[in-house]
Amino acid sequence: MKTAVVLVIAIVAQALGNVYLTKAMKSVTSGGGDVLTTAMRAASDPMVWLGTALLIVFFALYSAALSWADLSFVLPATAFGYVLNVAAGHYFLNETVTHARWAGSVVITLGVFLVSRSGARTVTQAASLRPDASEISR
Amino acid sequence: MMTALMIAIVVLGGSAGDVFITKGMKQVGEISTVHPRKLISIAARVVTNVSFLIGVFFMACSFFAFLAVLSWADLSFVLPATSLSFVITTLGAKFILNEQITRLRLAGTVLVCLGVALISLP
Repeated sequence: MKTAVVLVIAIVAQALGNVYLTKAMKSVTSGGGDVLTTAMRAASDPMVWLGTALLIVFFALYSAALSWADLSFVLPATAFGYVLNVAAGHYFLNETVTHARWAGSVVITLGVFLVSRSGARTVTQAASLRPDASEISR
Repeated sequence: MMTALMIAIVVLGGSAGDVFITKGMKQVGEISTVHPRKLISIAARVVTNVSFLIGVFFMACSFFAFLAVLSWADLSFVLPATSLSFVITTLGAKFILNEQITRLRLAGTVLVCLGVALISLP
């Protein structure tokens, strides 16, 4: 449960962060100019900082999960965010998502689901057996 | 070509980063508190862990390549393409972290590859 809560918040933060960063970087580079000018413009754009902050939240929660769970569990689990990201690109950034890309996202998620099933059981059982496993919900 | 190179840096940097960060976080130990003062002392141990710092360096390389490629390519193409890192990271988890790769996990990894191929179609 602790792992699920931490990873769901992580995935949502990552998807939002990616949307803000894409929006910001597209507008930062639309004005042209050399690398230094672009870098300065990126560093002074609040949306770049918001996107980066959200990805830091993701990273902190992801690292925290890795302190008690296997990498081979946490990594596939967070991949459920893939479809969320493609959907976010479609709905918030008006990107064209072809049928092949939708299908690819679904297949990736299926594969990731299988991978997580293969190792998650022992990890989650071991984690849930610990008395302090539910501390996050307090 | 530039897009492929950048995605390669995103993938390889991300995988190396994941392996080192897992190593570091396992050395730090399970985080099982939401108490702010305890979290700060844990954070201090995390940011002084050598494996974790090496992992962050690789992640940073991966992140800046990701930022660069997002300035000219679609998020909904770049992000699924980086899922190649699942295969590379799984190999890293097996050979460096000694995690077990079962048949089910292998099947899942093949599906991920298929998904990546689908997304790479023009």
